[in-house]
Amino acid sequence: MSPPLPASIRVGDLTKSYGPVPAVDGVSFEVAPGEIFGLLGLNGAGKTTILECLLGLREPDKGLITLNGIDARAQPREARRRVGAQLQFAALQDKITPRQALELFASFYPEAAQPVRLLEQFNLSAKTDAPFDSLSGGQRQRLFLALALVNDPQVLVLDEPTAGLDPGSRRELHRLITDLKSAGRTVLLSTHYLEEAHQLCDRIGILHEGRLVATATPAALIASARAVPRLTFRSTRPLDADRLATLPGVVSHEAQGDGWSLGTKDVNRSISALVQRLESSGNEMLDLQIHRPSLEDVFLELTGRTWQDARPEGSDET
Amino acid sequence: MKRNPTLNGLLRHFSLTLQLNFRSPQALIYGYLVPVFFLLAFGSVFRADTPPLLNQMGQLLTISLLGGACFGLPTALVAERERGVWRRYRLLPVPTGSLVLGTLLARLVIVGTAVALQIFLARVIYGTPLPLHPAQTVAAFLCVALPFLGLGLLVAALADDVPAVQALGQCLFLPMIMIGGVGVPLVILPLWAQRVAGFMPGRYAVDVLQRCFTDPQGLPGAGFSLFALVVIGAAAGVAGSMLFRWDAGRRMNRSALGWVAVALLAWLAVGLTAAATGRLLTVALPVAAYESITDEQADQITYEDLPGDNEIVSRLAPPFLPAGEAPFVDEFSAKLAAWPPGRDPSPGQSVRHLLSVAAIADISEDIHEGEIARIVFDKLQTRHKHTELRRILAWVILHPGEGTVITQAPELGLRRHPPESVVRERSALYARKYLGRLLGKIHD
Repeated sequence: MSPPLPASIRVGDLTKSYGPVPAVDGVSFEVAPGEIFGLLGLNGAGKTTILECLLGLREPDKGLITLNGIDARAQPREARRRVGAQLQFAALQDKITPRQALELFASFYPEAAQPVRLLEQFNLSAKTDAPFDSLSGGQRQRLFLALALVNDPQVLVLDEPTAGLDPGSRRELHRLITDLKSAGRTVLLSTHYLEEAHQLCDRIGILHEGRLVATATPAALIASARAVPRLTFRSTRPLDADRLATLPGVVSHEAQGDGWSLGTKDVNRSISALVQRLESSGNEMLDLQIHRPSLEDVFLELTGRTWQDARPEGSDET
Repeated sequence: MKRNPTLNGLLRHFSLTLQLNFRSPQALIYGYLVPVFFLLAFGSVFRADTPPLLNQMGQLLTISLLGGACFGLPTALVAERERGVWRRYRLLPVPTGSLVLGTLLARLVIVGTAVALQIFLARVIYGTPLPLHPAQTVAAFLCVALPFLGLGLLVAALADDVPAVQALGQCLFLPMIMIGGVGVPLVILPLWAQRVAGFMPGRYAVDVLQRCFTDPQGLPGAGFSLFALVVIGAAAGVAGSMLFRWDAGRRMNRSALGWVAVALLAWLAVGLTAAATGRLLTVALPVAAYESITDEQADQITYEDLPGDNEIVSRLAPPFLPAGEAPFVDEFSAKLAAWPPGRDPSPGQSVRHLLSVAAIADISEDIHEGEIARIVFDKLQTRHKHTELRRILAWVILHPGEGTVITQAPELGLRRHPPESVVRERSALYARKYLGRLLGKIHD
């Protein structure tokens, strides 16, 4: 059996405070080669601070950071040479064109990708000589992703790569990021989109108030949730709460508007019994929905905050 | 061959910064239109000088350099930093210095071309002479531009946003314009302002640049001014580099005050050194140079080697017969009487200009060269007292390179445009012929 490959990204006990306020508190994680690892958290959770420490934009108070085997704190320039990055808060000059931007950034590396090929890869050929201020949000993000690849890095760090994009542009970015993984690159990204984290990432680290409170695959995180599936339904006539509690598999019940929400450990048996109970009392079901546990439930359990309440303004995730 | 990414990136960044500058209408207005506006404003005030604007070129170019450094550079840097451009640059695997250097070099080219444009347009529009020392002018430009760019770098580091650049830039620009000897000449400033100007780099910048236009000695005489600019520029440049911010989100901490103090202390040190070495003495309107010529100096001038009056060089017609018998003489004499350069308020300059007319006619081998030289001599004698004319002619002979000369006078019918050096040499020759006659050492 061959030994496991060394991690492409290794972060150990990373700590960073802004004055008395701890922004990142003893965070540790590893990202394996070819893996997409997502840091998921609300605004202010510490995602951007972690990525900025990795990229040398901020000096951590303490902690270990290695990128592709290089100690990023001791050799920040060498680390930057081998890593591609896309920042959340960055822009280019209004009148610079994608071709000029790629040529400029490529010129700083001893070996660089061909700008023309990157323009093709990121579907920007039609905008080669268009000024930056004429590009759409999605085109700009694709250009930044292309810029992150000018040095042909094996490791990519992407900070909120789809923030503020419309659903179509977001899907396009997801496809491009998946392509990067297919090409064998390692991707560390931050996001506040649950759906994006679930869909894109091999593993997710949930950040809350500067601490990494869970790290696992999306499926494992959901499987670890204490939450049970929930049935929400409405009926033509009111139902007795005590009788609902005795349905097979049901572990909790609560009124929700003019209907009910039942927590169940056995979805099939609970639905079957519910239908029989309604029929026997001459009642009729108006609608029924099944809610399986999701990342949102995991997040609620781990942080005590619901995603809906805390999601950033402008987020269009439902 | 393996390429050097730092050098390669620097050159690419330099070139791109220039290209983007030329794509921005706002940058073109501030970079080129405003300097031209200043040229026209100065020209409207000083166009009557002889030659126009020559004595204001140091001030004019300093204003352009100050504008480019105190506003142009930091505005571009801070605007890019606010957008997040420099934040993205920060991820590149190159030293900070190479990226900043690319920006500074581009700004140097922008300011340099604006200054060259001013010199060219001053020449074309007003006939302002080109610098006496072209190579030294380039050196002087660098000696002034680099310290000012250091100040610009400091402004960029201190300003959180573009409006703050305007505020900080004005804090540097306005005092130097108003009481620093840049906008308002030192000689007409009150005494206290003249002393304050000694603490500001603008005064030294004007001195260094002006010498390249009018001082025969050139930059070698500007040692202290060069020293002052280097000290102030180096302190500002170091402080600006130490406080350089990649990210608009990063605010200054208290240690920044220390570096600001270093930059300001350099101004103080220069001013105190100037005071201690007697360089903050009151500047008054200069005494006419010819007044320092003594009788002994005039007496030592010799006349034996002068060409004869009928030889090819420096012909001089004999005294004229009574008026009315030589129409050319009357006509030219009337034109010369009304010729503005010949009526310069400075007696020394007036004489030099009239001597230039005789010189141009002689060099051009004008058909009336001898008569013109005689008319000039007659005009000099009627306009100036004997003792004053003796001193001025001796000054021209002993210091042929001083003052200004005229090299073309088509309004007098003299179409040729001989080199200035030849006009000066021939003017000195005629001055000897005239002085010899005034002193009775040459007989007409």
